[in-house]
Amino acid sequence: MSKELSTWLDKLLQELEGIEFRRKSARRLRVDVAPDALPALLELLRGRASYVHLSAISCVDWIEEGEFELVYHVWSYELQSLVSAHTRIPREPGRYISVYDIYPAAGFFERDIHEMFGVWFEGAPDMSKFILTEWDGPPPMRKEFDSEAWVNAHFDWQDYNPEWLQDLVAQGGGIAIPPDEQRFSRRNVDET
Amino acid sequence: MRPENYEAQRHPPSHEYELFIGPNHPGIEGNYAFKLRLHGDRVIEGKADAGYLHRGFEKLMEGRLWIQNLAITPRICVPDPVPMEVSYVLAVEDLCGLEVPLRAQWLRVMQLELSRIAAHLFTFGGHAATTGMYSTMYWGVADRDLVLDLFEELCGGRVYHIYNIPGGVRRDMPPGFTERVANTLDYLESRLPDYDNLLFTNQVFVQRARGIGPISRQQALEWGVTGPNLRATGLKFDVRRDDPYLVYDQIDFEIPTEEAGDALARALVRRSELKESIKIVRQVLERLPSIPGPIRCPIPNPLAWNVPAGSTYTRVESSKGELSWYVVSNGKERPYRTHVRGPSQMHAVQVLERLSVGCRIEDVAQIMFSLDACPPEVDR
Repeated sequence: MSKELSTWLDKLLQELEGIEFRRKSARRLRVDVAPDALPALLELLRGRASYVHLSAISCVDWIEEGEFELVYHVWSYELQSLVSAHTRIPREPGRYISVYDIYPAAGFFERDIHEMFGVWFEGAPDMSKFILTEWDGPPPMRKEFDSEAWVNAHFDWQDYNPEWLQDLVAQGGGIAIPPDEQRFSRRNVDET
Repeated sequence: MRPENYEAQRHPPSHEYELFIGPNHPGIEGNYAFKLRLHGDRVIEGKADAGYLHRGFEKLMEGRLWIQNLAITPRICVPDPVPMEVSYVLAVEDLCGLEVPLRAQWLRVMQLELSRIAAHLFTFGGHAATTGMYSTMYWGVADRDLVLDLFEELCGGRVYHIYNIPGGVRRDMPPGFTERVANTLDYLESRLPDYDNLLFTNQVFVQRARGIGPISRQQALEWGVTGPNLRATGLKFDVRRDDPYLVYDQIDFEIPTEEAGDALARALVRRSELKESIKIVRQVLERLPSIPGPIRCPIPNPLAWNVPAGSTYTRVESSKGELSWYVVSNGKERPYRTHVRGPSQMHAVQVLERLSVGCRIEDVAQIMFSLDACPPEVDR
């Protein structure tokens, strides 16, 4: 990205209030923005600064602060730079606005975050279950969800010790391949 | 949805009917289902249904050490596992500020490009098979096996390599390896005219694939299409060139594009990319002997490794498109959060659902394979 364009972008970002930005490298820009200003920022980035590609939306559960962090990674094919827009929403009630009308690609990510974290996106076209169709427990990617505790509470452990395994253990266990039959033993490789 | 949980519904009399393709079906890639609503032979609506291969990798990774996660990352996408481990490793290196030795970077490029060759051969086969041409499938899988042999020799694993570790790669090439790679590349290149005769210029295939599942450039940009599928619409974009990582900025290669944006164009882009990948690996083989040095930099004790707090977003170009990891560390010995963005999360869900509307029933499988969708990436 040329220097001229980058200062132009920096100026553009200064138009918005309550927004902090930090250049991490020539092609990476981190922006911290309040949740109510984020749609305007994305609108600006897409409409006036050519950031047309939504690469991903990531969600991080900061349970101690009681917040979800949503990160919108957008890429400009022309400026060849990636902006990561970070915003934080309260964990309760965990509602936010969909950006589907700005970036149609957001549909998948919002649906996924809703399923895994329980964040509701207002205005998203489809918030139905996708991967965890038959799951009725809490959203599993939340930090308070402990997979192991859930397994212990819902399933029984069983001992698995079939006869063939006992035989194998009695013979000393494992499978030994003689050196001549190993395909890439040092000796075979050196000969070729 | 599991079959035992499916409840039949009584519908009013209609010409429409439902058809489930998958989760076990030769016309679907992997453990995935695509539910169609049809009127005669025409698709009215397609709905993707994932979750048959959900392993909860992102959650699993939060409970494991940074180094243990290396065993998980390649398993996210079976046909093309290398970009997964490389991009995860790049993220960890970025967080720690590790300087990777030059030789390790060139070895990684070689591994990435060999993996791209293997994945594309696999895709040719899959795509051809959806048009009823099984010979290409047998050839593609057989030729891919030669690349897997090289991987086995390099790192012991044929499909999942776990060759990269933060700071470098696990081991150097065995003696005589460069010649064997060069021989395999020569062989694969000599096979390309055969593939052309059998598939890419074969009118049986060309007529069948032309005009199927067309994407315009505008649609591609809106839907988040990346990789060969985007380049098939004429946009010359490649993460390797435009957001370079490793040593790709020192390598000379072309970015093949096509204009039509249909299934045929996507297949042709992959065919040209295979050739470019062969070119890249040849350059690596030429340069490697003159690049001395360690293959990894010293790292702290990996079993008690507190990666500095921070977050990073790393992208690589996989054979299917843009692949990225968002990794967050809170300064502990385990990642606080990892998020993988696979190209198929777009291609196999929204793009496939939109492209299937209005097409004929026999084209659905071809559209899915021409997009090179990888359902394990969606499920994670």
